[in-house]
Amino acid sequence: MKRLIVLFIYFIYTFSVFAQSQDKLYQESFETLQGMLSNERKYSFKTAVFSVENAYLNGGLDMAYLSKEIALLTNMCRSLIENRFLAYVENDKKDVNKWASAYQVMCDSIPIIIEDKQYKYVPFGYDFKDVFGNDSLENMFVSKLLHTRKGNCHSLPYLYKILCEEQGTTAHLALAPNHIYIKHQNKRNGWYNTELTSGIFPNDAWLMASGFVHIDAIKNGVYMKALNTNETIALVMMDLANAYQRTYPENDGTFLLKCADTAIKAYPNFATALILKAELNKKRIEQETDMEKAKVAFKQLEKVYAHIHEIGYRFMPEEMYINWLVSLKTERDKYENKKLSTFNKQ
Amino acid sequence: MINKAIRRIIFVASILYGGSCLSQILPAPPVPAPLAVPVVVNEQIVDRKTVLEQASPSVLQSEQKRQHLQNTSLMNEVERDIHRQMQIMREVAKDVQALESKREVIYSLPSRAVAGAEFYHSAFNKIILDTVFSIKENNFLVENAFFGNKMDKAEFDKVIKQSADFLIAKMKELNYSLTDNSAKNFMLFQFFSETLQLKSSKQEHLPFKYDFEDYMGFESHSKLFVSKLMETGSGQCHSLPMLYLILAEEIGAEAYLALSPNHSYIRFPDQKGKWYNVELTNGMFSTESYILQSGYIKSEALQNKIYMQNLSRKELLAQHLTDLAGGYIFKFGYDEFVQAVIDKALALYPNSITANMLKANIASARFEYVMKQLGINPKDPNDLQNIRHFPKAIELLDSVNQQFDLVDNLGYEHMPEYAYQKWLQAMAGEKQKQDNENISKQLKGILAKPPKTLKD
Repeated sequence: MKRLIVLFIYFIYTFSVFAQSQDKLYQESFETLQGMLSNERKYSFKTAVFSVENAYLNGGLDMAYLSKEIALLTNMCRSLIENRFLAYVENDKKDVNKWASAYQVMCDSIPIIIEDKQYKYVPFGYDFKDVFGNDSLENMFVSKLLHTRKGNCHSLPYLYKILCEEQGTTAHLALAPNHIYIKHQNKRNGWYNTELTSGIFPNDAWLMASGFVHIDAIKNGVYMKALNTNETIALVMMDLANAYQRTYPENDGTFLLKCADTAIKAYPNFATALILKAELNKKRIEQETDMEKAKVAFKQLEKVYAHIHEIGYRFMPEEMYINWLVSLKTERDKYENKKLSTFNKQ
Repeated sequence: MINKAIRRIIFVASILYGGSCLSQILPAPPVPAPLAVPVVVNEQIVDRKTVLEQASPSVLQSEQKRQHLQNTSLMNEVERDIHRQMQIMREVAKDVQALESKREVIYSLPSRAVAGAEFYHSAFNKIILDTVFSIKENNFLVENAFFGNKMDKAEFDKVIKQSADFLIAKMKELNYSLTDNSAKNFMLFQFFSETLQLKSSKQEHLPFKYDFEDYMGFESHSKLFVSKLMETGSGQCHSLPMLYLILAEEIGAEAYLALSPNHSYIRFPDQKGKWYNVELTNGMFSTESYILQSGYIKSEALQNKIYMQNLSRKELLAQHLTDLAGGYIFKFGYDEFVQAVIDKALALYPNSITANMLKANIASARFEYVMKQLGINPKDPNDLQNIRHFPKAIELLDSVNQQFDLVDNLGYEHMPEYAYQKWLQAMAGEKQKQDNENISKQLKGILAKPPKTLKD
């Protein structure tokens, strides 16, 4: 509750003082994220994510509504834990129960009884339209997901993580080409994956078989690594850079470079940030008038690209992405983690 | 051998469940006997009620006084009771101490040093003092210790030498460059997978076969040995790559051992730095995606570099040590010598999955041994709680749990035998055959080009 009030005050503050300039909102968001990385600010994934969305929406985020929605969903998680049985006996049951409830709220139809009438809770769905936010960046937002109840591989795992943290437990985000999913570790099954876009628990072979995850990318933690808090904030930092670029397509790159540098510092093998930085440098070199300087800089740039290749990053074409995502449903038998029988939908 | 360890882990798992319950229960203070106080209080309350019902207003004041006195005496009684309880606990602790000293609980495993163990001790010393590092020598030490130093070293060396000579002669015959690493490795690959004949001496060499029978060496540990492979011409996923490495060492080829679940295979680079995976159990080139499709490789395993990674010299030495430990365990069982060997292996290769699993097994063997001395059944969660009187035993249980957590965190996942068999057989599938042909063609293409000389 205290955190909520602080958040609320923070937003009132932003509304009243900085509303005249969207650029200031972006700066504010950057500082929020940077503060979390340097431990000057208390880490909160929710605060981090909404600060970015609010900046992009020029202060137009309806925080009161979002807080209410999230509180409602968290309450639902709590009552699920109280009212249903989970066949799991290890001593980390408390956390496992919270994860399972967040998963149910995201992906399951749940019967709800209010005053003797039974209602059916409709879970969040996958929005096949504009999965990369090319038409509208808002399609990637958690706020959009909460309004429309449809999301994608960005907003769905984000909301799931928020719900876990609201319940006082953790959830690790993990990256795959063009994709984000959830990793948990429990006593019985070790590490396992939660895929919110289809509500299936896939094994690692599914991601490895996509054909776009090079083995070196896994070894170096570019993909398929359970991100820690700093790496997670680095991820949000790149969301911020992306949003800024959409708001100011003609910007001079200073803000973007600042974001990329901070993100790389927190997560050295973060491919998206490394690529953004390289692209920005490329632009600078193209504008360089001194040929000698340009040559030296270009040599360095080549090295950077070689490094990105070396750590295992490969480009995955967007049209491949949907096919691969759907393969999980069509070849479910092959890729489903059979050991998680407690959680799997029958 | 890996699977041997797994069997144990499964066996021990049941103990661990008990163990994890225990860690939750432990902090609560022990209660030796049900408290007598509540019962007393109840009686008093009943008494007082009857008194009050019968009492007239005039006696109320004295009644309050009486009540106050009664409360004080009650509180005193509770205090006395707590005191009594503490005393009982102290006495229990004393008893435990006395019990421990009388019984002399031994918290380390008894030595299994019966006849034959000395060969293992001397092999261990030789391996860790090895300065030249020879795969051939170290592997021989491992196998010879198992046979009680009865192997014929001269004969073993001779056969290896002959094979190496054969390889060189065949390379010359085929016009392969003797300095090219891919040529040397391709020759080795052919040596393992094709029938070869020397034109000059008519000497013939048949390909090695995969021995399906007891391929994990459960019944006969020597099934895993290179000497067995050389004698019978058939081997499995341990002996085949090991012989490959020995021969590669002899002809100066660069090749590495790499691990995957229940399995090991060969990797080598060509002149341009492109890497090839050689699957010797069926004599084919395999691809990384095929290895990953086993479904039992977690991303954490790759991040922690326990699979699909070239083993360095140090790491291979650690692998020899775990092989040595494996033979010892097969013959004699777990004791502190195995711990010493594994400690050394882990110092050389901290993330070694085999060594870490053996360490977990030693820890649980030690814990079981102590439980037996204390007369506690670790599989019974209620009985297991009695270890709270034995801090050292708790420490042991913690170390067992920690070691199994470590194995889990490394990304290890148990691959059942049927899944392993299925995966190995999938290698004969069309896609894999096609991949193998393509890679072979590529390599042959490289070899067909005449090596560049100064004239060019």
